[in-house]
Amino acid sequence: MFLRQLLLSVIGASSGLIVSAGVFTVLISVGLIPRFAGKMHVAKKVFVLEEMVIFGTLIGSFFSVFREWCMVGRMVRTQAVFGAATEGVWNFAGTLFQIVFGLFAGIFVGCLALAIAEMLNTIPIFARRIGFRHGLGIAILSVALGKLTGSVIYFTQRVFL
Amino acid sequence: MSTNRATIYLKAEQNVEVQEPEVCVKDIGSLTCSDPHIQAKARSLRLWQFQEGASKRQVISILRVIEEIEKACPGVSVESLGETDVLIEWISVDRHKGFVQWCKLAFVSLVSFFGTAFTIMAFHNDIGINEVFSKLYEMVMGARGDGYGILELSYSVGLAVGIIVFFNHIGGRRITKDPTPIEVEMRVYEDDVNKALIATADREGKTIDVS
Repeated sequence: MFLRQLLLSVIGASSGLIVSAGVFTVLISVGLIPRFAGKMHVAKKVFVLEEMVIFGTLIGSFFSVFREWCMVGRMVRTQAVFGAATEGVWNFAGTLFQIVFGLFAGIFVGCLALAIAEMLNTIPIFARRIGFRHGLGIAILSVALGKLTGSVIYFTQRVFL
Repeated sequence: MSTNRATIYLKAEQNVEVQEPEVCVKDIGSLTCSDPHIQAKARSLRLWQFQEGASKRQVISILRVIEEIEKACPGVSVESLGETDVLIEWISVDRHKGFVQWCKLAFVSLVSFFGTAFTIMAFHNDIGINEVFSKLYEMVMGARGDGYGILELSYSVGLAVGIIVFFNHIGGRRITKDPTPIEVEMRVYEDDVNKALIATADREGKTIDVS
């Protein structure tokens, strides 16, 4: 029994190590965080950004691996943490969190998608092939609008079901 | 006077930021000369004057710098040991301070935090990590598990250790002296941006060069 538990823990630790290496190699090679820092002129504080990346991943990992232990909303509601006002307070707080999470995660994923496309040089190669010089801004805007439309269709038409 | 053949060694940077609108030779890099008089004269030689409202970015060719120095100090030969084009950026003093800067940092931090949290959750959802773990548990232990066990715990610990080793720091403290991957990538990105700006200025003919 002990040996089997030991085996499980070795398997778990090794998979965790390799998964984090894999996930971060992708994140680093697309160079998203340096680009944020460069655009916003906060290159001196890149340390803080790395900390945010670390804690974001750890929190996300915990919440998705220990899904059943992280039902914060259910816990708050059943325990009635804020007394009689629990329902109202938590609805407001939950909605606020949804907005914050959705907005920032959306920005990140949008940047990630285009950064990956750019890493593979799709846009420069395509622009060179069809020989266009001007209007790159319009092309980028079209990509963004296309992504927005696609996302809206995905959620409203329930493509995922 | 002009018979002495002193040599000025000039090492230009690829990208410099100036706070004064007036750009001198000493702003774009370092230089040395055996004659301190010539060195001082060359250092304070004016190269470019930024105009309010005009572009705050200017690329200057090292040939133009050499030409200016040779014009000001006749008979001196200039050896360039640095970059061939210098990107000068004029920044106002208070741009890198204050509340706006703090807001930008908070914004980027929030994007990084929630973005990576979302990415790892989506990844776990994608691979169905709970199913994988329960199957693995069954394979090893020979019976179905109930709830979370050592496997999930050690996975999380492994993930944390992997991240910390990869990024080389935790809670503001470095583990070894090496730069972190994002710091390395930051320099690569800055280099690429500088090269692109210099090439663009060159192509548009906006570089200050010898005519």
